[in-house]
Formats: sequence, C-alpha cells, structure tokens
Amino acid sequence: MNVSSEKVQDYLVINVEGRLDTTQSDSFEKQVMEMLTGDDKKVILDCEGLNYISSSGLRVFLIMQKKMAAEGGELRLCNLQPSIKEIFDMSGFSMIFTIHDDRDAALNA
Amino acid sequence: METHKIKLTNKLSDLEKIRDAMENIGAEWRIDPQTCMSVNLALEEAFTNIVNYAFENNDPQEIVVDIKKQDGKLIFVIKDEGRPYDPTKAPEPDTSLPAEDRPIGGLGIFLIRKIMDDVKYQRIEAQNQLTLIKNINP
Repeated sequence: MNVSSEKVQDYLVINVEGRLDTTQSDSFEKQVMEMLTGDDKKVILDCEGLNYISSSGLRVFLIMQKKMAAEGGELRLCNLQPSIKEIFDMSGFSMIFTIHDDRDAALNA
Repeated sequence: METHKIKLTNKLSDLEKIRDAMENIGAEWRIDPQTCMSVNLALEEAFTNIVNYAFENNDPQEIVVDIKKQDGKLIFVIKDEGRPYDPTKAPEPDTSLPAEDRPIGGLGIFLIRKIMDDVKYQRIEAQNQLTLIKNINP
C-alpha cells in the first residue's frame, strides 16, 4: 500500500495504491490523518491504484469522511476500480461518498 | 473433486498466505479475478475476526481453511479452536444510514454475508467451523 498527496488547483489530491487490508489500514489511517491537517477544505481521494479493500480500509474512508464533514470540508472519491465499486455498493458506502468516474470529473464537479 | 488447504496461525500477517493461496487457486481453477477478490475479502474478514476475538491470549493457535470446488460451488470451511462464536447470529448493520450516523466498524461479517451465497456455522466439540459457499460458473 502506498499513499501520496499533491496539490491540484485548490484541491488536495491523495493517491492510494495497492492493497488496503487489515495489516495496512493502521498505517493508511496514520498517513492520511497527517495529510488532513484541516487547512484543505477540498480533498480528492484518487483510488486509481487501489486494487483491494477490506472492512478495515472502509473504516478509514469513513473516518476521513466524518473528519472532513466535521470541519466543513468536502471529500470526493474518484477512479474506483469495478471490484472496489462493488464493495462500496454492497456496504452502502456508495451512498455516503461523492464518487466521480475520474480525476477530471472530481476536479470540475 | 479438487481441494486445497491453507494452514494459518493467529497472527494478522498470515493474511498474506490467504492472498497467495487465493491467487494460486484462482489461476488453477480459472476463477474470474473479481470473484477471487471478493472471496479473498470474505476470508480476510472471517480470519481477522478469529484472530482478534477467538482466543484468550496470543499463544500460537492453528486456523485451517479447507477449500473445495464442487458442482459449480467454491466451499470454504474455516476451523479454529477458539471460544464458541457464531457469526451468522451477528446483528445486521444499517447500511442506509448517512455517514454521520454510521458506526465505525461492524462491516466485516456483513460483507461475508453479502459476498457469499451461503454461510453456515457449526460448533463441533471444541472447534468452530464456519462454512462459506460461493456459487461460480461450473
């Protein structure tokens, strides 16, 4: 699992790649919480390279969403692979998150 | 009938063994990647629950997954000798709640039920046996 961030226009874009399983979720949570300092009100989580997620990874997504909402910010997801989208649909997460097809759509929505 | 066995111990790093085994089995039995991923996910959730909750302490314990392909079904039997626990009795989370009302956690068993076509639990002597069945194209 790899996490990186970049500024694109007035968005903080966080890229997550690889497998987000139970052994990786604590590290993922720690890294994204360091990136979400509260200064960036618009955040995009680009999941293009994410190829596996379990409930422990979904849990961190939910924590991010709650943190952003509590701070008056906005979190958008993009580039979910079909297998990941299926897990989001199953768990009801598709209704909780704003999901865009790709990064351009997320930036311009 | 084709079979496989994954031998695990009660440490989360053994998730790697589940991943490797499912990659090999998927290739050998020609299971589509999406099914492989979701089955791997269900196994992870079941295994993680056992590791986190089944045992009194961190002493090494064996957890075995017997896998077979039969009549268009993948059948997984996960066996451990931890305290009795029937995940089929766990309450369903409300997946229609908005983010602010969703509890953090409680999704694992729900995902197992959604992914698998059948989930059965038996306690046989000192052993928990969780059977997960996934229908695939024969």
